[in-house]
Amino acid sequence: MDPATRLLALQNPDGGWGYRGGNSWTEPTACALLALEDQPQAAGAAARARAWLQRLQRPDGGWAPHPAVEQSTWVTALVVLLGMDAARQGRAIQWLLERTGEDTTLLNRVRRLLLGIRSEYSQEPPAWPWFPGTAAWVPPTAMSVLALRKVHKQQPDSRLQQRIEQARQFLFTRMCQDGGWNHGSSRALGFQIGSYPETTGLALLALHGVEQARLARSLALAERYLQECRSQEGLSWLQLGLLAHGRRPAAPEGIPERNPLETALRMLAAKAAGGRNVFLE
Amino acid sequence: MALLKRRHWIAGSLAALTGCSRDPRAEPSAVSIARAAHYDGQLFDLIRRLLIEQGLDVRGKRVVLKPNLVEFDPGTTINTHPLVVHAALEAFRSLGAAEVRIAEGPGHRRNTLELAEAAGYFKTIPNFEGLFTDLNLDDISPVRLAKPFARLESLYLPKTALGCDLLVSLPKMKTHHWVAATLSMKNLFGLVPGSVYGWPKNILHWAGIHQCIADLHTLFPRAFAIVDGITGMEGNGPIQGTPKFAGVIVAGRDPVAVDATCCRIMRIDPERVHYLQLAARRGGLSEAAARQTGEPIASVQVPFELIPQFRTLRLGPG
Repeated sequence: MDPATRLLALQNPDGGWGYRGGNSWTEPTACALLALEDQPQAAGAAARARAWLQRLQRPDGGWAPHPAVEQSTWVTALVVLLGMDAARQGRAIQWLLERTGEDTTLLNRVRRLLLGIRSEYSQEPPAWPWFPGTAAWVPPTAMSVLALRKVHKQQPDSRLQQRIEQARQFLFTRMCQDGGWNHGSSRALGFQIGSYPETTGLALLALHGVEQARLARSLALAERYLQECRSQEGLSWLQLGLLAHGRRPAAPEGIPERNPLETALRMLAAKAAGGRNVFLE
Repeated sequence: MALLKRRHWIAGSLAALTGCSRDPRAEPSAVSIARAAHYDGQLFDLIRRLLIEQGLDVRGKRVVLKPNLVEFDPGTTINTHPLVVHAALEAFRSLGAAEVRIAEGPGHRRNTLELAEAAGYFKTIPNFEGLFTDLNLDDISPVRLAKPFARLESLYLPKTALGCDLLVSLPKMKTHHWVAATLSMKNLFGLVPGSVYGWPKNILHWAGIHQCIADLHTLFPRAFAIVDGITGMEGNGPIQGTPKFAGVIVAGRDPVAVDATCCRIMRIDPERVHYLQLAARRGGLSEAAARQTGEPIASVQVPFELIPQFRTLRLGPG
């Protein structure tokens, strides 16, 4: 069975996809839709998925990760990548622009200064949290960069450009000593912390267009991870990240897809290898 | 934070769903300490004996084992040893549990199964993938905290943990660079889903780590605890510390009493660990507040090295 057919077979009656069966969630649904939208046999499924996502947009313009969650979160960036009608898109972008990690708000900078709290990352630029009211981390920041870049390419806007540049600086400040990225904690209590394959691939994807000399170690590490990684999710992000920098990585065969999200990501990586990287269009 | 308006679980109702029949505050909590020198096949008999000693009736119950899976580094001892998890799985089955599942939602890595494979779970536990639920990706229900210690009024939690009859916290005995010691109560951070809150579960840090540990304990007050203290971790735990042999398994129905006992074994003063202070009820955290069975604490005490900011928590001479 080809990946598109496998993915279609896992769609819920409400139009969305779950992480492992079960209720529909925004992240696997958005990824499945990105993977399926250009597949002729998926037109009906894609329309149902898009309708499910549209119903989930919250009054503040963002998206919650799950219908039961009464809070917009980082998944808003993933939905922006899909492209919505102008009104929906505008509200979503506004929601993203209004979010920063709580650690870089003026209030918290002043608080840290007054209390003498030292931070490993006290001077870094604003970036995005997973969940409002918390610190900024690498994956939601990388995904927000991809979303805003896509919109900025269609409708150039200095506000978007500024946040993209700041977020890319943030990614560099959070790079681990080995050249890769983990969730965003590269140092703690003076100790260096190692990177992960999936976050390294995603960060490289978000750093598309950065001069390769700055990323030489990162790209070499990603190529090494590609041979060692045992998860399809990790392999797919590594391929997407390497392809974004002109590398043609050959991923190992036989790594199972364990859920719809992994199937969708594998399709997106294959699509990018074929010349269409939907995250960078 | 999200203020729930509907479809929420009330904390008090969870107590009725999540455990044993006894109120842990009614009398001194029994805490069992057993020596275990190695990770080997004898752990099944040892854990089964501890469950019987604790009077746990799991016949017909749905049990969820929650180990501590964080990161994998072959040079150290971050995670609950898979042989302890396997022994617990078989022990609960042998005592008549209707279903025993293993569930965890790691705080750093999204690829939980890859992490479990690296940590030896697939190799050690037959049909591990079929028995396992990734709590980061599980379906969720909103739960309201009636009188929270932290500033969160509600949490979204995985249905696998909310719906079981007995939640068993199976942590590694470790020091922790923010809260001094991570044991059965701190291990419940792994119930908080990354699919909602991200990786790490940073909302718990911003709301107050000690307070959130106490709040999660409020939601699962009768979680059973089995602590892997054979080889724990000292120093800059929970990830970058150093392996420390303590040679014990500690178990009991009252996570506060179990964690306080583990602190004493590690020569940390539990009465100065803030989350234990918050969670302690009648009887407090004194050694007399728990009824120790098996090995006396003094006979298994081994000082775990503490990072400088926690050295004032060192338990004085007995």
